[in-house]
Amino acid sequence: MCVLVAFVLPVSADESNERAWVADPYLELHTGPGRGYPIFDISERGERVEILGRHTDWFKVRTARGREGWVSRAQMEATLTAAGEKKTFRDVLFDDYLARRLEFGFSFGTFKRDPLLSAHTGYRLHDNFLVELTVAQSAGDFSTTSLLYGALVSQPFPDSRWSPFFALGAGRFTNTPKSTLVSAIETRGDVANAAIGLRYYVTRQFFLRVEAKRHVTLVNYDSTNAYTELSAGAAFFF
Amino acid sequence: MPKPTILPFLIAALSAPATAQSAESVPEPVIPAQVERREVHIPKISANDLEIGAYTGVLSVQDFGAKSSSGLRLGYHATEDFFVEGTYGRSKVSDQSFRRLGIAIFKTEEVDLAYYYLSVGCNLFPGEVFLGKNWAMTSAVYLVGGVGNVKFNGENHTAYNFGLGIRALPVDWFSMRFEIRDHMFASDILGKN
Repeated sequence: MCVLVAFVLPVSADESNERAWVADPYLELHTGPGRGYPIFDISERGERVEILGRHTDWFKVRTARGREGWVSRAQMEATLTAAGEKKTFRDVLFDDYLARRLEFGFSFGTFKRDPLLSAHTGYRLHDNFLVELTVAQSAGDFSTTSLLYGALVSQPFPDSRWSPFFALGAGRFTNTPKSTLVSAIETRGDVANAAIGLRYYVTRQFFLRVEAKRHVTLVNYDSTNAYTELSAGAAFFF
Repeated sequence: MPKPTILPFLIAALSAPATAQSAESVPEPVIPAQVERREVHIPKISANDLEIGAYTGVLSVQDFGAKSSSGLRLGYHATEDFFVEGTYGRSKVSDQSFRRLGIAIFKTEEVDLAYYYLSVGCNLFPGEVFLGKNWAMTSAVYLVGGVGNVKFNGENHTAYNFGLGIRALPVDWFSMRFEIRDHMFASDILGKN
């Protein structure tokens, strides 16, 4: 019983909560959002439950008897929404997935043999295209390089689990040599890059990606330098 | 069980052409259609996968003693097992013990240290913490590790960190953490890496 008390929120029959009907023989209510948390109650077929929220793939529900617990997505998929029998929870969750446009990720790799850390945010314009903004920093033995660039990314097969992509980008870079070095002069300039990579969707919200990128830095009118970046990272949708 | 039905819609659909055909004679409808409109909407379920937080603690830098440190944290729970997080923290580093011997390492006695990390964590042991008879909090032990940058005495260093922590949630929207982390970076400030 003490488990239940911990989950009681000061909410009285909130009309804004979603309602669903249990279609499986029963729903198992866990004390927390994870398979390791114990099951303390069930809700039977035909009972109405209120959906209070979601944490990863777990839904917090309140049963008709007023008990609150966490139910896995696999079990929720078989429940019926208040919208009717035709639209099951599975479809609702899939719609939710398709509506996602914003993503955020980070990766780690090498940039002219120095370690490179980068973070990116992407916005999906179309099924096959997204725009990305990346900030990256490489703190090497002799200098620190910072990059900020935007890119247009093309995904020819957005629906497949292994999805290749191509990207073209442009932005700015700053290279600061270590102050202990002689004649340390900071260099700033434009950078353009082209990339090829692969995404692997681990879950509906989460994916891994690897990429190879060629950066061309425009130092001044008559000199350019080219560097290769190899990186791997993770990203998720909001 | 309040089962949704499409029967009222069917009655409405069947009765509409019938009234159109016999509009001139205008017979009284046998059963007046009382269509109760059902509001169909896509459920919006709020998700709390994103965490924003602040922390404070003690940072001990090898050869330079320990100082208080505090920072900000942004976390995202990708699955029930894995989360990703970004942290940014600041601290001070003092060369006081070297100065006592007459050797100044930094330009001033205290210099700033700032770091950021992007880390991946794994929840290991889900459980509950019981406080007295009537209160239980869900909890988890987690491992976390990542890559980042430490800016120390004006120099950037690529750094790695890993740690172990315990998280407890008194309510769904608030969590408390206690963790120990090791930060690793190579610095040549004392003449060698």
